[in-house]
Amino acid sequence: MNPIDIGPSQLLLCLLFVAIAGGASLVMGLRLERDLLWGTVRTFAQLFLVGYVLDAVFAIDTPLLVVLVFIFMVFWAAHAVRGRVRGTGVSVFLPTFLSMVLSYLVVTMLVTAVVVQVEPWWAPQYFIPLGGMIAGNSMNAISVCLERLLTGLRERREAIELALSLGASYREATSDLLADAVRAGMIPSINALMTVGLVSLPGMMTGQILAGAQPTSAVKYQIVVMLMLVASTAIGAVVVAFFVRRRCFTRAHQLRQEAL
Amino acid sequence: MRIDLQNISLRFGDHEPLFEGVDLKVESGDFIVVEGSSGVGKSSLLRLLNRLQEPTTGRLLVDNAPPRDADITQLRRRAVLVPQTPIMGAGTVRENLCWPLSFRANCARIPPTDEVLRQRLDGLLLQDVELDDEARTLSVGQRQRLALLRALLLEPEILLCDEPTAALDGEARSVLEKQLEARCSAGMGVVIVTHQGVSAPAAETRRVILRHQALQVVA
Repeated sequence: MNPIDIGPSQLLLCLLFVAIAGGASLVMGLRLERDLLWGTVRTFAQLFLVGYVLDAVFAIDTPLLVVLVFIFMVFWAAHAVRGRVRGTGVSVFLPTFLSMVLSYLVVTMLVTAVVVQVEPWWAPQYFIPLGGMIAGNSMNAISVCLERLLTGLRERREAIELALSLGASYREATSDLLADAVRAGMIPSINALMTVGLVSLPGMMTGQILAGAQPTSAVKYQIVVMLMLVASTAIGAVVVAFFVRRRCFTRAHQLRQEAL
Repeated sequence: MRIDLQNISLRFGDHEPLFEGVDLKVESGDFIVVEGSSGVGKSSLLRLLNRLQEPTTGRLLVDNAPPRDADITQLRRRAVLVPQTPIMGAGTVRENLCWPLSFRANCARIPPTDEVLRQRLDGLLLQDVELDDEARTLSVGQRQRLALLRALLLEPEILLCDEPTAALDGEARSVLEKQLEARCSAGMGVVIVTHQGVSAPAAETRRVILRHQALQVVA
């Protein structure tokens, strides 16, 4: 079954939906008309732009360039994490970026090369969307994990310093906290395994079905995606938690002021 | 064991320095009482001796040599700090007392038997505390003595106590002070930070008063 291509006039017809929302805003005095207009323009512009970029990216036939595009995506994901993790003087960008590159690269390569068996493994139409999905989803896990770790350091400062003063290494003094933080990062992706298909149909699967794929085939891809997200969240959260925890202590196992 | 603070100053951020040019020598067998009004930096002085805090300037020597970062857990095991707030983790009295023995730096210590723990609790007038009691539910005064016992079980060479008797009544206070003095006579160094003084100081006690930004040795 081939997907039905949406023509320009059909796309413009969708502006009717915006008009409905705008009408509601006008009638009820919500003053959302400007935002609606600007949002609609941005949606068209951003998505067409990314469409053309992806067309160009898919034409790339060197693995190095594909990996560079992938790293560019991860860079922005790490940048977003830095924006979300506030209230600490410890720099989280570099550890986040490095752990994301490491974990996402490994998982994406495993999926393309071993599970889906794409030839070559870096074929951009597989590697980039899968990598993007990992980066987008695991970003949340890493933010949650870091937030929990840094808040925990502040809240449990007295207990951590007590352990240090009694001869614990910084690793021993924070082992519970580290486990809590990693667990907090991993739980959402595990919860998603429980509810997928019952509460909502995942976007990727829906997209594939709309594009003409057999639902059973789309489901198989979705399972691969869900499981790879669990792995990438776990690796990302563990690696970033270890990196950032190290940065919160001096070489003499003293809790840094700027971490608090 | 000997810890030297030489020409130490400590400041946090852009604030006025807590103290400047402070020299202090602590040795096994010393009994030092640090007095001073609140906020003058008494607790920070103990944190410097335990190396939980790095001085802004000046240097710290352990046995006449700068300490190596790699030996930090060993240093803290030998010069144990008992903070003012007696923090207990979730779990029983027994678990809390033996908790530091789970750290690698303390692995050479043999965990005490229940009989020994019972004896030590009784010695600190904690006869009504059971080893299986939930430690967090005890009173501040009881937890304060538990915190001290937890540190003593590590057999430190120097014990750094921050207001160890603040929540204790007269009798418990004097029992605790006597125990510390006995330990001191047996060779352990003791540094006590207090704003209420020591009730019956031993003859060889050194009194040190921390006034605005400087240390003054009284006797």
